[in-house]
Amino acid sequence: MNLDRPPDEQAVGPEETENVLQLPANARAADIALGELELVYAFIYARVGNRADAEDLTQQVAMKAIPRLREGSPASAIRGYLFATARSVLGGFWSTRLGLSESELHEDLAMALPQGPPSEARADTVQAILAQLSENYRRVLELRFLHGYSLKEVAADMNSTVGAVKVMQLRALRAAAKVQVEL
Amino acid sequence: MNKPENRVDKIVSDLLKGRPLKLRGGDAEEKAAITMAARLAAARQGGPQRMNPAFRKRLAQALESAPKEPWMTRRAALVAGFGLAATAVAGGIVSRALEPAHAPARLTGGPVNPIPGKWVDVAALTDLVEGEGKRVTAGGVGAFLFRRGETVTAVTSICTHLPCELSWNGGHGLLDCSCHPASFMPDGKSTDPTYPLPTLNKVQVRVTTAGRVEVLGTA
Repeated sequence: MNLDRPPDEQAVGPEETENVLQLPANARAADIALGELELVYAFIYARVGNRADAEDLTQQVAMKAIPRLREGSPASAIRGYLFATARSVLGGFWSTRLGLSESELHEDLAMALPQGPPSEARADTVQAILAQLSENYRRVLELRFLHGYSLKEVAADMNSTVGAVKVMQLRALRAAAKVQVEL
Repeated sequence: MNKPENRVDKIVSDLLKGRPLKLRGGDAEEKAAITMAARLAAARQGGPQRMNPAFRKRLAQALESAPKEPWMTRRAALVAGFGLAATAVAGGIVSRALEPAHAPARLTGGPVNPIPGKWVDVAALTDLVEGEGKRVTAGGVGAFLFRRGETVTAVTSICTHLPCELSWNGGHGLLDCSCHPASFMPDGKSTDPTYPLPTLNKVQVRVTTAGRVEVLGTA
């Protein structure tokens, strides 16, 4: 079967017998999947930024993918299948929350398949994005997101007003999104 | 509050407080800023996040509920005639072996019609809070009530996949299954549009002129 395609795009019906992955014979699907789902959780959390949504989406991935797995398949295939499902679930999440069709969503949602456990690379990526912003934009995002400052505190630090900081925050986020696309 | 900077800041503030994303009409215009805000909020936590132990345990239990044998495919289930068997056996190993999308036709959101049925007084209308589900029992029928103005709707308290009790999740405004990762909206529909479970059965409910809520249950 084609593991690169999200499950939603896979055929259903009489061919479905072939759409079931084989798990290693000496391990139970549930045990292997739980370990892999840790990676899926980290992957999803890094994109939704909060625990509640990350847990909901990880549960959805488990529910969608696990019934299609069974004894005998290599761990890499299991991971590929779980992450393909995760991408599909995340696409559905954003399209539902933003009221968009999945085709309207930005390419940043077509995330690359991790080759191994999550690393600190993600934090480096964020720093790389911030480094490409203008001084004011970088400062407002660092204070707000990385240091957890309130708008008032950011305004005081930057000798500005709360209203101006709000506008700057939005512009900085837009600018950061553009930087990310180019990376 | 309708200015984009205000809307996005509300989302940012929620994220920084660890709250789930609540998006509203018009937010799609700022999708790039919002998805970036979510990524920055995640980066604030440092390295890769691990599951909360309680969540991991819940997930493990859900996975454990799957059968040890290879999962049955739809074709295999149909060939074996288990679709019909599962209809007759509500719960148990046979229905657990079936995938949720392949549940039998009985689970289509139709009303619960107990025979003989009896209208059972379960609450006062004033006991119900709009936007909140209230669990009630009418003899052998368990239900969640939802008030909207002067009207009340009700759905069964039993999940359509595994025969487990649902619980009201006030934070998300959903009914969560206690046995596996699944949620339903107050109207009984599954929350997952791409892999929907059958809709929860409706439970018949009425409001009397005295302002009492009655559910059609059993004696």
